[in-house]
Amino acid sequence: MAESRQLEAQLRETAEKLLREKNVSLFVGYEKASLPFRTTPLLLTKTEEAPRLVWNPFCNANLSVYLPRLFLAPADARAAKAAPAPPRVGVVLKGCDSRAVAVLLQEKQVRRENLVLVGIHCPGIVDRRKAEKALGEHQALGAGEDGGGNIRVVVEDGTESTLRREDVLADACLECRSPAPALHDILLGAPGEAARTGTARPGTARTRTAEFESRPLEARWAGFQEVIARCIRCNACRQACPLCYCKTCIFEQNRPRWIGPGTDPSDLALYHLIRAFHLAGRCTECGACERACPMGIDVRLLARKLSAEVEDLYGYRPGESVEATPVLSSFALDDPQDFVTEP
Amino acid sequence: MGRNPYLPYPARIAETVIENESRDIKTFRLAFEDPGSAAEFRHLPGQFAELSLPGAGEAPFGIASAPTEGDGLLFSIKRAGVFTAELHSLEPGAPIGVRGPLGRPFPWERMPGKNLLIVGGGFAFTTLRALIKQLLHPAQRAHYGSILVIYGARTPGELMYRSELAEWQKRGDISVHLTVDKADGGWQQHVGVVPAVLEKLKPGADGALAIVCGPPIMLKFTLPALASLGFSEDAVILSLEMRMKCGIGKCGRCNIGGKYVCKDGPVFTRRELASLPAEY
Amino acid sequence: MTEKLLSLANLDPWLARLRERGSVYAPGTDQAGEVALREWPQPEPLVLDYKNFREPPKAFFLPRNQTLLYFRDGKTVELNSAVPETFLFGIRPCDARALALLDRVFLDGDQNDPYYARLREKTTVIALACAQAMPSCFCASVGSGPGDGSGADLLAVALESGLLFRAGSGKGEGLLAEAADLLAEATPAAKREAAERIQGVTAQLTPVPTADSALRLRGSYDSPLWGTAGQKCLGCGTCSFLCPTCHCFDITDEPDRRVRTWDCCAYPQFTLHASGHNPRPTPKERWRQRLMHKFRYAVENFGVPFCAGCGRCIRNCPVSMDLRTVLKELGA
Repeated sequence: MAESRQLEAQLRETAEKLLREKNVSLFVGYEKASLPFRTTPLLLTKTEEAPRLVWNPFCNANLSVYLPRLFLAPADARAAKAAPAPPRVGVVLKGCDSRAVAVLLQEKQVRRENLVLVGIHCPGIVDRRKAEKALGEHQALGAGEDGGGNIRVVVEDGTESTLRREDVLADACLECRSPAPALHDILLGAPGEAARTGTARPGTARTRTAEFESRPLEARWAGFQEVIARCIRCNACRQACPLCYCKTCIFEQNRPRWIGPGTDPSDLALYHLIRAFHLAGRCTECGACERACPMGIDVRLLARKLSAEVEDLYGYRPGESVEATPVLSSFALDDPQDFVTEP
Repeated sequence: MGRNPYLPYPARIAETVIENESRDIKTFRLAFEDPGSAAEFRHLPGQFAELSLPGAGEAPFGIASAPTEGDGLLFSIKRAGVFTAELHSLEPGAPIGVRGPLGRPFPWERMPGKNLLIVGGGFAFTTLRALIKQLLHPAQRAHYGSILVIYGARTPGELMYRSELAEWQKRGDISVHLTVDKADGGWQQHVGVVPAVLEKLKPGADGALAIVCGPPIMLKFTLPALASLGFSEDAVILSLEMRMKCGIGKCGRCNIGGKYVCKDGPVFTRRELASLPAEY
Repeated sequence: MTEKLLSLANLDPWLARLRERGSVYAPGTDQAGEVALREWPQPEPLVLDYKNFREPPKAFFLPRNQTLLYFRDGKTVELNSAVPETFLFGIRPCDARALALLDRVFLDGDQNDPYYARLREKTTVIALACAQAMPSCFCASVGSGPGDGSGADLLAVALESGLLFRAGSGKGEGLLAEAADLLAEATPAAKREAAERIQGVTAQLTPVPTADSALRLRGSYDSPLWGTAGQKCLGCGTCSFLCPTCHCFDITDEPDRRVRTWDCCAYPQFTLHASGHNPRPTPKERWRQRLMHKFRYAVENFGVPFCAGCGRCIRNCPVSMDLRTVLKELGA
């Protein structure tokens, strides 16, 4: 829509200025991808490349995933001496992405003074799989946004059709409660766009969890098994997650080896359980994992439940504030402990 | 279809010897369970085998013994990872799987009539031991010219095969120069890195082949030293180490460019390596 | 090369006849609403005009989790369970061609992989020519095409009134001979229709300049483009796990067995030595390896790129990287 065109122009100007004035040496945004319903990350170092930046409903990746690796400490003192100074980085952030940066700051994985955070009020992004499915056997050759925030598509025979916004928005976006970037140095766009188009259904996450929980134990287990059975252990969910930055992931540790590399049912279950628990109290619900999954697995099944638990028990939502003590790093005498049971 | 290439020959650890003062390199003598396996397993120096322990895994190791040494195989193995730690904990009698022989050996056919310069560093000396044993075999020795060995380690206590080295040094048909980075009280031989000894000895390159095994840092300085002595890229033969799994050119792990270290190597000439990306 | 015609009415009876000899897999809609190879018969009807499956049929030949050997009473043994006869009906030509490429690694004559060989031998591949191309398809640029029958025992082309079969192997010839009573002679009109359909799909493809890629990539080993790509790549294994020709694997032990699982050159652990040394230490080298392996090293070793042009890596990359773009830029 007109508004995202305007935002796009502002974004290009912002990046160009940051690079030109040497406020940053690297700017991370999005550019047009080769296929419809997608964008691809653009890591800019030259002002003249700024016009390649785009802002549209296909800006799907959580770009904060690129930040921790830019600030990795060198292996030893000698390497540290030879290493170049960490870059100053500008990065485009949606609401959920900015919360991920807040968690990375809490966990000391990035340097605040080296970051210029360019927040954008996010109207929600398109899940390409939903869009592709909605087209049936037709295939898109091009896609854009119309004035009402719906998705206009040109298909193979040259005809145009329109996909309704609420039918193709990513699940995480439908469930989103804070589309505004909490943390930013520069803020683009205006709030309330999601509300205006009437697509936000922030209760959905809890409804989905409640529906799952209402099933009998056996059905829940069967449901979980069915969800993960398609997993091919490609690690896309982990790699797309900005908060999975461990230098050696538990899945790759081999002294001892905690989990096999394949798709044995017990290894699959362990993989998804461990990931869910390692993100409990940290996940900012961006849904990058889910959209990265090539197999269309609901990889946030457990994460949604754990986020609700953390919020209900401790009144904590990850990434809302950098100053807050992370929930799993704090202990208060009056913390609820009803879940602690006698053996 | 022949024998399943993933199925190891059953063997047992017949003997173990601690090779160094740090006690992290052990030589294992393995004996095949079945005489048929011993007959089928026909290797040449430079080749390697996959050793396996059920439940602990499988890993590739250069064969330290020459085929002329008779029954059994020797492997000198440094304790570095999970598998080698498990292996080091085993006593004689423990079962072990052996798969191989794998890879391309030292270019045996090119050696007759040549002077041979054998340069080794650290723990990579294992397959060079196999080579030297083969060359010194009474039925073999006459086929080759002079044999000059330069072998270096960090300290005297880190040199492997010390009693054999001493025996070789007493012989007239092989010249063995040992060097250490750091000498101790009784050390009477070279002190300094391998390339420095090479430059001191200045072996002639005419009609000679250099066979080199060692850590990357040794190679980095030894290869230019050999070049300045006049050794052509074809006359320098190296053995590479790479992470491997299948050992038979399927799993892709040891790829360097279009080559598989496991089946096209691990032995390459320097000319062959020069045409490959430096991803080793 | 025998060509025969099967009427659509005879398709089910023919599959039923194959079903008597073994398992039959055919395109159908799965629980997630996607067309996939499913065990036939299913209550839902067969689908013939799908684009392509989410996953390549690679797992039929290189299972994601495959036991190689068992440990029994301290011995490492091979327990050969009988491999059932299997028929794959309706895989697309790019995926069938990928099998012909995998054969070069796993059935190289020098050292066959017995596990792959057994599954390949017991599986009959019936490819189905494409009904339409996707924007991510580029099979014709890597020596294949929407009517490529290499790697398949039979190639079928869906016509208005039935299927035109073309035998691609002795096994395929045998299938046609056995089903003689269900088949009719291929008429010149049917052959013409098949050729036109394949041409129609070919015309939808956008060419990618890969034909001389081996030479081009040779000169570009030090190109800054690898760094750019490596910076963007997340280092997941989606591209290779969904690639019909990627075949790198790991071998690990469980307490009672030795297992082969898929692995991927994008992972840092893939080449990491026990000493801590890593010959391909950053995403840049790893990304270059994957592309170089497919478009240069494979061409040097086998004379063909190890890519079938199916486009799955492009469609599924979490950050929408497109190897065609990089190939183009390298050539520019």
